[in-house]
Amino acid sequence: MRPGFSPRGGRGGFGDRGGRGRGGFGDRGGRGGFGDRGRGGFRGGRGGFRSPDGGGFRGRGGGRGAPRGRGGRGGFGAGKKVLVEPHRHEGVFICRGKEDALVTKNMVVGESVYGEKRINVEEGEAKIEYRAWNPFRSKLAAAILGGVDQIHIKPGAKVMYLGAASGTTVSHVSDIVGPEGLVYAVEFSHRSGRDLLNVAKKRTNIIPIIEDARHPHKYRMLVGMVDVIFADVAQPDQTRIVALNAHNFLKNGGHFVISIKANCIDSTAAPEAVFAAEVKKMGAENMKPQEQLTLEPYERDHAVVVGVYRPAPKKK
Amino acid sequence: MLVLFETAAGYAIFKVLDESKLQQVDSLYKEFETPEKANKVVKLKHFEKFQDTTEALAAATALTEGKIGKSLKKVLKKVVAKEAHEQLAISDAKLGGVIKEKLDLSCVHSPAVAELMRCIRSQMETLITGLPPKEISAMSLGLAHSLSRYKLKFSPDKVDTMIVQAISLLDDLDKELNNYIMRCREWYGWHFPELGKVVTDNLAYCKAARKIGDRTNVATTDLSDLLPEEVEAEVKLAAEISMGTEVSEQDIGNIGHLCDQVIEISEYRSQLYDYLKNRMMAIAPNLTVMVGELVGARLISHAGSLLNLAKHPASTVQILGAEKALFRALKTRKDTPKYGLIYHASLVGQTTAKNKGKISRMLAAKASLAIRYDALGEDTNAEMGAENRAKLEARLRQLEEKGIRRISGTGKAMAKTDKYQHKSEVRMYDPSADSTIPSTSKKRKFEEVEEEDEEETPTTPAVKSKKAKKEAAAAAEGEEEEAAETDETPKKKKKKKKDKKAAEEEEAMEEEQEEAPVTESEKKKKKKKKKAKEEEEDE
Repeated sequence: MRPGFSPRGGRGGFGDRGGRGRGGFGDRGGRGGFGDRGRGGFRGGRGGFRSPDGGGFRGRGGGRGAPRGRGGRGGFGAGKKVLVEPHRHEGVFICRGKEDALVTKNMVVGESVYGEKRINVEEGEAKIEYRAWNPFRSKLAAAILGGVDQIHIKPGAKVMYLGAASGTTVSHVSDIVGPEGLVYAVEFSHRSGRDLLNVAKKRTNIIPIIEDARHPHKYRMLVGMVDVIFADVAQPDQTRIVALNAHNFLKNGGHFVISIKANCIDSTAAPEAVFAAEVKKMGAENMKPQEQLTLEPYERDHAVVVGVYRPAPKKK
Repeated sequence: MLVLFETAAGYAIFKVLDESKLQQVDSLYKEFETPEKANKVVKLKHFEKFQDTTEALAAATALTEGKIGKSLKKVLKKVVAKEAHEQLAISDAKLGGVIKEKLDLSCVHSPAVAELMRCIRSQMETLITGLPPKEISAMSLGLAHSLSRYKLKFSPDKVDTMIVQAISLLDDLDKELNNYIMRCREWYGWHFPELGKVVTDNLAYCKAARKIGDRTNVATTDLSDLLPEEVEAEVKLAAEISMGTEVSEQDIGNIGHLCDQVIEISEYRSQLYDYLKNRMMAIAPNLTVMVGELVGARLISHAGSLLNLAKHPASTVQILGAEKALFRALKTRKDTPKYGLIYHASLVGQTTAKNKGKISRMLAAKASLAIRYDALGEDTNAEMGAENRAKLEARLRQLEEKGIRRISGTGKAMAKTDKYQHKSEVRMYDPSADSTIPSTSKKRKFEEVEEEDEEETPTTPAVKSKKAKKEAAAAAEGEEEEAAETDETPKKKKKKKKDKKAAEEEEAMEEEQEEAPVTESEKKKKKKKKKAKEEEEDE
């Protein structure tokens, strides 16, 4: 059920710098580049270097920054006509233009979370803004483009996101579930937690939890029952982590979507063996896997497993 | 049975109406499928709402740590204590233990309880009456934000990122300072090169250059507060016969600015160092006492944080900083390095080279304990560090004295020495150089026998012939060439030397002692020939 377009995805990093309200990323790239040059030992001439190289530098910084966004500068120039149509999954859209991209509807109009491209479309009188979703940075986007059957994250759903990091994919999940849904974002690292908190400030359907996901009882006060658990924790005992959270917070018949990194679980075993072992572990915890797919070509040795937790017994 | 259920809005105490349903754990969820059914199983007994977000935050933090907060204590006393015969079902076993201890209420936590909690959670909004529908989610959002903020801001005093940043800045400053000082010397040296040679201290140089300015002013400037008298006199002398170029006011002005910068940065550097010392003493006092501030700060910076450093085993702490050498040695199966950053600790610095490895290992072991105490312990005193350091210093003294007592194990046992092997270091006198008169055959045989005996005692036949050759060659070349023969054992060299110096009496005695094994007749002949050659050459 592959959508029939080239999976360029949201490769936009640096499309139109001019029309961007938050051109910060370009400057950041430039300044970052400068810092590297400075460290190379050009200290004496630092003052002199600034002005003539300003313009050139931004380009270079941009060049260096773009690989971070894993994309070229192509895609959508300002003012080009593009067509946005809904994807098979509810809440996700495809933007058709010179290159196709996966997009979600921006809940906070006018703002980019991690410097991604924004697309404005007029539908009659309403102006709708969409944000490009980069499959190289987000496992969920890679899974969708890879053709996963069901992601179970839909408008109005309550999602628990384990391993939220700086909130880049969480923001897209928040876009999908919309104002009626809720996203409980769990992240342990303080550094990333700070960024996550900033994202959550703007989006009121994200509840940030700076806690270790291994101890769900520590944040039981903040969380209600959820419909879906999405896990991207990259820990060797991640199945146990998801199981603990599921036992506590996932409703009966709820679904889970787990991203497995083979290297992280066991770097010596073959990836297929690792995935099979993980699936077996899930079975022991009353979690029934329903589909599995690898994230080629976006990630190497990664797989996504979708399943159901405590399915309702089949009526005979 | 009562159930304690915590929510973001407050504490809820439920009463289980139908305990028999709890027996069938697997079908319990069916009873909670609709609000009406749920109300038949449990009933809300009491709901203690949080007054404001501060109270909620306090309750949430207490919950995270597994302790009883004030509001929880209040609720429990008010409601549950009255029905002490009832058990209290809770979600956290640890909390249950604490409640039992402090309030003497029997708590229960089991898979059935966990299932019950799940079901209550699924019907949370309907079971807790008296709350407007969206309030719980709004409260949990607010509470989550304040809780996260609290976590991220936590404890500015114990934060070790300050140390990491300070030590990195110290290194950066040193590099910059060095660059600037070299530039200053170079630049001013065009005008007054002799000053650079006379004044070796960098900071004094910059201050002097600043004060002097143009070297024509030297006679009038007073440098006594910067330099010692002799140096000042030298400077004044050198200024008169200086071969530097003339420079304009503007140039001197700019050089002066650079000198100002250098002086300022030097001052800031010493200030920063004091700051670092203070922070280190505050954050990791035991580590500071054991290895010193700089080494301690570098260790913390290398590991990333004090907690990370505490997680490393002592063997890692020993070689932190020598990773390149470590992995290279591991890959090529050679010896791994014995010390990394810890090499610069004073305890390791003050030992002899032979003992540095041992001290480094011991220091790493004790330092690792100190680090863990600092990172995870609750007190902040330096007693433990001081004790450990005293122990280490005592051991160091023992090592240096090469004590025959063992360091570890039972103190009374004597250290094991090598098994005694008699290595004969007897020197033999070589009379071959004594007389220039060709000796009789009888004498030759006598000498040959001696030589053979000497040579036989420690070595095998194959080596003997080699040694005979060597001896011959050496004797021919003379004593000065002895050093060039690296294969020659020291004892052989000694023998040769003695051979040429000592008296024959020793020879005779030696002969008696070493009337030893049979030699091959061929060897005798070879040696005879060589001896003959030797003697001829000596003549």
